[in-house]
Amino acid sequence: MKKFFIFLLAAAFVAIGVLMCQGTVIQESSDDRGQETVYGSIDTLPMLVTQVRKCAKLYTAECRVHKIVTHDDVLRLKGSVLQRQFNIKLPLGDRRIAIPIDAKLKAWIDFSQFSEKNIERRGDRITIILPDPQVTMTSSKIDQKNVRQYVALARANFSDAEMSDYELQGRAAIIQDIPEMGIIETAQANAAKVLVPMLTEMGYQEDKITVAFRKQYSLEDIQSLLRMDN
Amino acid sequence: MKTFRIATALFAVSLVVIAFLWLRSCTKGDHIEIGAEEKIDPTPTQIQSIKAIGEWEFLSISIEELADTVRKGFFSDDELARIYYGTLRLGINMHHVEPGWLQTEGDSICLTLPKIGLLDREFIDEARSKPFFESGSWKPEDREALYRQAHNNMLAHGLTNENLSAAETNAREQITSLMRAMGYKRVSISFK
Repeated sequence: MKKFFIFLLAAAFVAIGVLMCQGTVIQESSDDRGQETVYGSIDTLPMLVTQVRKCAKLYTAECRVHKIVTHDDVLRLKGSVLQRQFNIKLPLGDRRIAIPIDAKLKAWIDFSQFSEKNIERRGDRITIILPDPQVTMTSSKIDQKNVRQYVALARANFSDAEMSDYELQGRAAIIQDIPEMGIIETAQANAAKVLVPMLTEMGYQEDKITVAFRKQYSLEDIQSLLRMDN
Repeated sequence: MKTFRIATALFAVSLVVIAFLWLRSCTKGDHIEIGAEEKIDPTPTQIQSIKAIGEWEFLSISIEELADTVRKGFFSDDELARIYYGTLRLGINMHHVEPGWLQTEGDSICLTLPKIGLLDREFIDEARSKPFFESGSWKPEDREALYRQAHNNMLAHGLTNENLSAAETNAREQITSLMRAMGYKRVSISFK
């Protein structure tokens, strides 16, 4: 019986100790909260972020593309019970949206590192070896007037966050399709159209001017020539 | 009799434990969820046009702009705020050069270039814009108005005299460097 009382007493001490420690933690966390409210009072959101960069890029090709991003948002009851999979479409849960996107892609050649090394002269012949062309998406625009959505009675409208997510996926899909668009080939051909008249004005004969690139670019190479902001 | 009761109780307990273990093994990995596919459907990307351009960019101004709108309501106000990203590109359009814009004499070259300006008025990457806050229901026209607001703000903040001047200075430096690489020692550049 005595041993039992000693055990009870020890358990009570342990419990009190644990509670006291918890109290300390609560106090610490409340202190932290106090600090957070101080930091929380600084509102940085309306701040405008601007980055200015000097460059020397010659844009030689422009490609306008159009994509209709569609999403079929069907609510489904999915899972497994007793190791049997099921996937049931819920009634009155359909939502559909179509977002037309217009994007502009431009191919450019970076002249910031252009030097005498890029020029070869043999008599009255001149060969200009240009750096690799690169592609960037300079703008994209959602055709808001033609956005269409169909929402079942039981569902809420598409939120701004959901629509933005689909638009971002659409943008990524456009970027993925760039290698097949032929913009790099057009950029290479047009670089000559911009530079040759300039060189003829300088006194070179047109048939003695060669504008060349490092190599012919494969589909894999083009992937590495994409410069997209994330 | 007592032994019989204990044995029955033990048997019952072991039956319950076995049933529990069997049920647990059968339902291992079981789950039920309600959800929807978040990926967009695969659709083709149509090329509307592909054309030759000749634009020299000498200064790029990347801007992140927060645009918001509030609609006053009887009980509460609705609010929509979005963050837009855009890059203003300043430079010269080579299609605007006039005949005789480039004149050479020995190792000297004189270039008369068009005025430095904004190369493209479509500079916002709207598909990359981020939602920040939304309360209430908003129509596509409201989003279009928000885009216009961000566009005008970016123009006001980015297309400044300082930036145009910086672009012109850089254009002089870059073109001089390019012409020197071509073999001209004296380079004279003027803008219309």
